[in-house]
Amino acid sequence: MKRARRWGPGLLLVSPSIILIGIFVYGLIGWNVKVSLSNWREAQHTTKWAGLAAYRDLRHDAAWTENVHHILLFTATFIIGALLVGLTLAFLLEKGVRGEGFFRSIYLFPMAISFIAAGVVWRWLMNPAPGDRASGLNVVFDKLGLGFLGHQQWYLDQRTGMAAMAMPAVWALGGYIMALYLAGFRGVPEELREAARMDGASELRVYRHVVFPHLRPVTLGALIILGHISIKVFDLIVAIGGKQLITQVPAVYMWILIYDARDYAKGAAIATLLLIGISILIVPYLIYTVRSERRT
Amino acid sequence: MAEIVTKELTKRYPNGVEAVKALSLEIREGELLVLVGPSGCGKTTALRMIAGLEEISSGDLYIGGRRMNDVPEKDRDIAMVFQSYALYPHMTVAQNIGFSLRLSGVPKRELRQRVKETARLLAIENLLDRRPKQLSGGQRQRVAMGRAIIRQPQAFLMDEPLSNLDAKLRVAMRGEIDSLQKRLGVTTVYVTHDQVEAMTMGDRVAVLLDGVLQQVDTPTDVYDRPANLFVAGFIGSPPMNLAQTTVEGGEDGLAIRFGEHAIPVPRDLASERGLDAWVGKAVIVGIRPEDVEGTGRNGGGGDRKATLPAKIERVEALGASLLGYFRVDVEAPKGGGVAAAVADEELEDAPLIGASGTLFCATFEPRSAIRVGDSVEVVIDADRLHFFDPETETALSR
Amino acid sequence: MSTASAVPPAPLPVEPASWWRRTRGSRAQPLKYAGLLIFGVLILMPVYVLIVTSFKGIAETDVSHAWTLPHVWTVAAWHTAWNDLSPSLANSFKLAIPATIISTVLGSLNGFVLSKWRFPGADLVFTFFLFGMFIPYQAVMIPLTQLFEDVNFPAGIPRLVFAHIVYGIPITALIFRSYYATIPEELMEAARMDRAGMLRTYWSVILPLSAPAFVVALIWQFTSIWNDFLFAVFLINDPASWPVTVALNNEAGSLVTPYNVSMAGALLASLPTLVVYILLGRYFVRGLLAGSLKG
Repeated sequence: MKRARRWGPGLLLVSPSIILIGIFVYGLIGWNVKVSLSNWREAQHTTKWAGLAAYRDLRHDAAWTENVHHILLFTATFIIGALLVGLTLAFLLEKGVRGEGFFRSIYLFPMAISFIAAGVVWRWLMNPAPGDRASGLNVVFDKLGLGFLGHQQWYLDQRTGMAAMAMPAVWALGGYIMALYLAGFRGVPEELREAARMDGASELRVYRHVVFPHLRPVTLGALIILGHISIKVFDLIVAIGGKQLITQVPAVYMWILIYDARDYAKGAAIATLLLIGISILIVPYLIYTVRSERRT
Repeated sequence: MAEIVTKELTKRYPNGVEAVKALSLEIREGELLVLVGPSGCGKTTALRMIAGLEEISSGDLYIGGRRMNDVPEKDRDIAMVFQSYALYPHMTVAQNIGFSLRLSGVPKRELRQRVKETARLLAIENLLDRRPKQLSGGQRQRVAMGRAIIRQPQAFLMDEPLSNLDAKLRVAMRGEIDSLQKRLGVTTVYVTHDQVEAMTMGDRVAVLLDGVLQQVDTPTDVYDRPANLFVAGFIGSPPMNLAQTTVEGGEDGLAIRFGEHAIPVPRDLASERGLDAWVGKAVIVGIRPEDVEGTGRNGGGGDRKATLPAKIERVEALGASLLGYFRVDVEAPKGGGVAAAVADEELEDAPLIGASGTLFCATFEPRSAIRVGDSVEVVIDADRLHFFDPETETALSR
Repeated sequence: MSTASAVPPAPLPVEPASWWRRTRGSRAQPLKYAGLLIFGVLILMPVYVLIVTSFKGIAETDVSHAWTLPHVWTVAAWHTAWNDLSPSLANSFKLAIPATIISTVLGSLNGFVLSKWRFPGADLVFTFFLFGMFIPYQAVMIPLTQLFEDVNFPAGIPRLVFAHIVYGIPITALIFRSYYATIPEELMEAARMDRAGMLRTYWSVILPLSAPAFVVALIWQFTSIWNDFLFAVFLINDPASWPVTVALNNEAGSLVTPYNVSMAGALLASLPTLVVYILLGRYFVRGLLAGSLKG
């Protein structure tokens, strides 16, 4: 009990936060799940149990199916794009260049800008103009002789729309991934590379056998983070695509269901599904992090 | 097996600092040469230039007769053991050792065979499937050596391979590395800041200070005939007693003034060192503690003329030896070389500089009952006196 | 990034050990610079368009001329944007400043206890917090609104402030906990020998050392909160209380707003966070280097 006197004050100090998180994260999640299992389909707040009705509703909802397709396409493109951009930038910087700080600050600055503000300009750049006037990006492609990349419809095309959405997302987060990889690269002790060179490895092989294996944990972490952002993506889509079905993602659909259709149960069901999706990613990652922390 | 020759090897950094200044060495085939000196003396930089990990600013490097200045490190056919071992963390011990062979396309069966042999040589066969992080310091060190040995290179370069080990292990590994090198007969350049390591391991020792080669000789010669004040103070533990005093002439020959006493210098030694030219002038005198024998309290044998009275200020009983410190009425020597030698972190029992008079160290019979405050006599073996020019700090010679 | 997209602040890459040591690969340098410059241009493209369009008159605002400099530079668009957005800008400040400060201080206290004044289960509590950083906030928005209604919490900005403080607990705790972990335990032991209690230790020993972590947390929180859209859109119904992100989105999405005005508006809305990034970016970096984030 004497020991308790020692750590007691600490527990006391964090207890408000514990309570707040307990209520506002876990409690509300529970409430949300409850709503998703209820009958609350219009402005009247009912708490009648409806089982998995809302979820079944979703399964048969064509719009929802589209949403799922969209989010998968977006996730795949976004993650691959961001990883490639981040890795490339880090690779270019890692051995040290003059003005590294300058370049780094350029690549990282999109993080200071809200998705909404970014959306304003990206929407314009990707906007197909009426008639036959080329949109912002298409003009560039034309000028560079890459006309074939120009897409009259960009994000309005059923199939490629979501992939195009990944562009502003990669723009916004590429720098962050770069920072992760750069730290990874720099975490490789120089002596390790020197040893490999002494063993007869060319620069390329040094990367392959020594440096890249070191980057595996970074890629894992980046995948988790990008994945969870991508599943939740809301601001960006709203800013560029608004409420159109063509670019809709679950987070937006949920918003529409709640505010426009007043279908709270269905909206809550989507939210719960999002939560489950993210938990699959995050929970193992959290466990892994805590365990490895305990080991060190 | 190849000889390594450096001619005026220099490393100059863009900010003007010269880490290595015109280093010229000839390392013979099969020899183990130790590069030793205090931290920052340039020994590691020199080693890295030989390895190809640092660019050579000026001067030439020849390995096995070929000029290597512009040859990339992977083509020099030299193996290096790093201070931190630099083992590939995601590879097993076997993969670590066999990495270079894998890169040069050695067929799998032969590779496995050679890895096994090398591991057997180093007694780490049972560790082949482990990862570096599961190994102890000594085991990692051996894996690092295995990685170097398996390549059968022209030469080995070792950068303080033992400094990360605890003292006992270091002593054991010293012997192992030494005998391994003798067995394999590979030319080896070995860098260390520990002068004991240098003395016990090297066929020859090269002492560096501030990028400049001070002396290169066999360990015995470096010990008995230090070329300058720095080497004299750096090599040997406990370090050489040093003092600044004057040479006196007399009918009986030359003598060294020690306060009220004059220690006569044997005629042979005096002429060898050309001491005649220094009569009346100041010189720096050195005598190693083992050549200053304590004789117990008050009196004892020995030529009375080479004795000094000593009031014991400090006693160090080390079991196998007993050291007594006493003050001598002479000036302490000044000069960069001495300061550098004394500043080295290894020299903990350096004579106190700056106190009035100079603290000297003498050896006593290990079990003699000496206590602080005792007044005893010490006998100086005058044949073992060293003399240095106070200006240039070099050893005097004819 | 809004808190809603919970991106943990990236660890800062350590500076390369004296770049003049790397003498290899100098052949590749010009290629590297070319690559870096190309990427730089690509990243800055949208900003260029934003700036250039915001200074154009309506006549020149045309998607096919998105890339050309204005023939006539005018600040008319800025005037309009300012008029439209200044009330919401004020709202954003009223939101961001208190929320940032409070959540940062809270984070410091939590981080301190979780790393330096631990209790049994402290790590569990931390994980408990951490999960809250990753949840889709959509999942709690409906119940949150309901809760606010039920307890009659003052509507508008106060609700946002409260929400950001609560949902900022995990990330601020993470930042401070990582940083405080780098403070040697000996300092705490010395304070204990000096008979200092928990609050005393925090005030006299830990707080003075916390500057780097405070910088990281303040900048991070300010940026997240200022840029947030999700919370605002769910929790605030009255357009008069909208923070600038919602106001901007509304304006930019409306069919009557010309593009030069929405561009100017976007820049206006981003100015505070950009200023913070430009002026304080290096302290942010320094704070990260000092250990404010490891993973």
